[in-house]
Amino acid sequence: MSNRKMILLFLILTLILSGCWSKRELNELAIVVALGIDKVDEEYEVSIQVVAPSEISSRQPSSGRAPVVTYHAKGKSVFEAIRRMTTITPRKPYFSHLQIVVIGEELAEEGLNEPLDFIARDHEFRNDFDLVVSHKAPAKDVLNVLTPIEKMPANKLLNSIKVSEKSWGSTLSVNTDELLNTLSSKEKSAVLSAVEIHGDLQLGIDQTNVERIKTPVILKYAGIAIFKEDKLVGLLSEDDSIYFNYLNNKVKSTVEVLACPKGGELSTEITSSSSKIKGTFKNGTPQITIKIDVTQNIGEVNCAINLTQNNTIQQIDQKTAEKIKEHTEKTLAIIQKNYKLDLLGFSEALHRSDPKKWEKIHKEWSTIYPTVPVTIDVQVTTQGLGTIQNSLLYNSKE
Amino acid sequence: MPVSENNNTSQQPLTNLLHTSLSENIFTIKEALGHSNDVIIREIIIDKLDCLSIAIINIDGISDKTVITDFILENLLLEIDNEPENKIDNINDYMKKQCLAVGDVKDLFDFTALFTSILNGETVIVLEGQSVAIATDTKSAKDRAVTEPQTESVIRGPRESFTETLRTNTALIRRKIKSPNLWIKSRVIGEVTQTDVAVMYINGIANDKIVQEVLDRLDQIKIDGILETGYIEDFIQDSKFSIFPMIYNTERPDVIAAELLEGRIAILVDGTPLVLTVPVVFTSFLQAAEDYYQNWIISSLIRLLRFFGISLALIMPSLYVAITTFHQEMLPTPMLISIASQREGVPFPAVVEALIMEIAFEILREAGLRMPRTIGPAVSIVGTLVIGQAAVEAGVVSAVMVIIVALTAICSFLFPSYGLSNTIRVLRFPLMILAAIFGLFGVMFGIMMIILHLCSLRSFGVPYMSPFGPLIVKDQKDAMVLFPRRKLFTRPRLVSQQNNVREQQYYEKRTKH
Repeated sequence: MSNRKMILLFLILTLILSGCWSKRELNELAIVVALGIDKVDEEYEVSIQVVAPSEISSRQPSSGRAPVVTYHAKGKSVFEAIRRMTTITPRKPYFSHLQIVVIGEELAEEGLNEPLDFIARDHEFRNDFDLVVSHKAPAKDVLNVLTPIEKMPANKLLNSIKVSEKSWGSTLSVNTDELLNTLSSKEKSAVLSAVEIHGDLQLGIDQTNVERIKTPVILKYAGIAIFKEDKLVGLLSEDDSIYFNYLNNKVKSTVEVLACPKGGELSTEITSSSSKIKGTFKNGTPQITIKIDVTQNIGEVNCAINLTQNNTIQQIDQKTAEKIKEHTEKTLAIIQKNYKLDLLGFSEALHRSDPKKWEKIHKEWSTIYPTVPVTIDVQVTTQGLGTIQNSLLYNSKE
Repeated sequence: MPVSENNNTSQQPLTNLLHTSLSENIFTIKEALGHSNDVIIREIIIDKLDCLSIAIINIDGISDKTVITDFILENLLLEIDNEPENKIDNINDYMKKQCLAVGDVKDLFDFTALFTSILNGETVIVLEGQSVAIATDTKSAKDRAVTEPQTESVIRGPRESFTETLRTNTALIRRKIKSPNLWIKSRVIGEVTQTDVAVMYINGIANDKIVQEVLDRLDQIKIDGILETGYIEDFIQDSKFSIFPMIYNTERPDVIAAELLEGRIAILVDGTPLVLTVPVVFTSFLQAAEDYYQNWIISSLIRLLRFFGISLALIMPSLYVAITTFHQEMLPTPMLISIASQREGVPFPAVVEALIMEIAFEILREAGLRMPRTIGPAVSIVGTLVIGQAAVEAGVVSAVMVIIVALTAICSFLFPSYGLSNTIRVLRFPLMILAAIFGLFGVMFGIMMIILHLCSLRSFGVPYMSPFGPLIVKDQKDAMVLFPRRKLFTRPRLVSQQNNVREQQYYEKRTKH
């Protein structure tokens, strides 16, 4: 056989012999949409939520089976537990379409670094899914709650974070990339949203949970969980979470309720907010100024107030600013004085403003930090009154 | 004439000169044509010319009966009523000059010319005592009328198409280009069929070297018969083993006229309404006549749509196979779940599914093409019901696959040229196999191979992928998009190399700056 024929033969052989290597048909995959990691008795307990595609699809009438199935397995490492899971799953778990990872509260208190390694290292995981911490419940239980409307509970978990981050401001969507970045820098500490279960756990597993008009078991985001480096240390309340987001430049839209001068209440819709953290050194001592710019619309008026006057609007601006200032200071005190955690990146701001001076105080930063004076400056502008002008209350009084 | 020589007539009669004896001539002709009954040999005797016997020979069906009776027979039998005043020196001359009232008359000296004349529909008059026969032009082919184009229809544009008659076709082109520079060079190809082939070009615009090359290649064809332009195409194209069409064909005279004006060369073959043009570039197959007749913005968008369509038609099934079997992470989650739910219970791997559906579609398409027109709707109903609906309901294939096959099919009808659509049809299958083995890597590999192949092709010296490879910026005006007409003041640079300027005034305006 001539050389050319031999080469051709080898080329064809490689084509045939390599034969669809690493091929996976869609119906050989168990699409994992949510992953839960807990620590039980020095072992990892990994839970996965797998989609049953035919139950999710709108084309076929639902057979009444659950749209998702959860599997649990234990192992010395997350990886081991996931591979052990194949003894109970009908197909090989496929993680590329993971929507959300729930870290159990106990595990989070011990530290995120260990379980995160596998997620960051394995090639099948993308890095665009969100991470949340379960609150007062293991991650396993969070994955076991069926949710109405969104057939996939993972989707509900993900959407809730995004929606409330966008229009309420008490949650924070953090994906793996961001989390890994924060954890890899020494000064910064991580924050994650915390999810909790309301209602009887046993009902959540049952299909009846989604068959009622009022769902007995719901998953709710409680607020922002804060970490000291990678260890969970506490949870901010819902209000504190919002004001934390103000400071953190993460508020996109939220609601402020103000007291009217003559009794009653007035709500404003915050339409945008931006905050800037600036560090300065005064005689060698660090100082922080946080400037928050807020624009708002009048959202709801439950008091007699003449909105058509310019100075009323100025008053409202001022009141909103005062309220935001007061609450952000309170929230800042919690994280700065109680937890002593530099969640907002003060160290970075100081480092940036004057690297040489920062170098001097850098070593004692953890002792200096709680004492750093912080000035919060809030500017509010009102843009619109909505589609009506004065409240009916004001008009009837006239 | 002895019998032994009769045998020879079938061997070597055609080189023979005509006999002087009329009966011998008639005998030779009859023998040579095998006593075919469509050969009409009318023997008459003209009293007025000293009882001269003559034979009028023509072939029934391809010569014009009225012309023969009215202008030949009538003249010879009735008009010559009085004795010629002068003594007739040359009976041939007398016949030609005074008796025959037909347009073209010529002398024939040997049987080869005689047979060519007869077989072309001319009427030959053989005279007793003369070794020179007279051929009169009485050609009358059964002409099909000039009708609307069947395969390349337009909304806006001329509604005529070529017919099977070469003369009609050249006339259709002449009517569009009234220039003395529109030249025709003709050849007769096919040792048995003796088919007329005409090469048309505009002198001064077409590249002389390419004209010469076309004629040379035509001269080299050795074949017994030419029945369609496809025969010629196969002989003269540059790359015999390419799956891509190397020569453009069309049935529209306006397209040919436009091609001639760009400096291309048209090859017309008697007996087929399809006309070839060379040299050709890839983009020609994605440009329709109508592009030039409507607003350039719309034409540009439609052209872009075609380029998009050709990519879809080529790679859609293989993309589906590659993504669903190798790269599931590339799909958005809801789409993945939707596709996965349809794939539940489908017994075959995605590639087998795709192959089944694509082959089924090709069968349907081919069946629809060959079948009597009246059964057409029946097949499409069976096709849509069986393949579209029943297969999905039975769970043999997934609904997404049906969508993909349907979309691919529709995209493959987007091309103005049928030739390219066939190529794309064929190339889809190797790409699907590559996708099944190597995933997207295989698809990319396949596409790169196709592009490399395309770039290596040349049509009569012009790179097939021009104006993209080699990149010719000026010619981009009429490639993927179409510029307004006043901007198209030059001809494709590589096609017509000697006379590139199309519209002098705009060109001068441009070059002044």
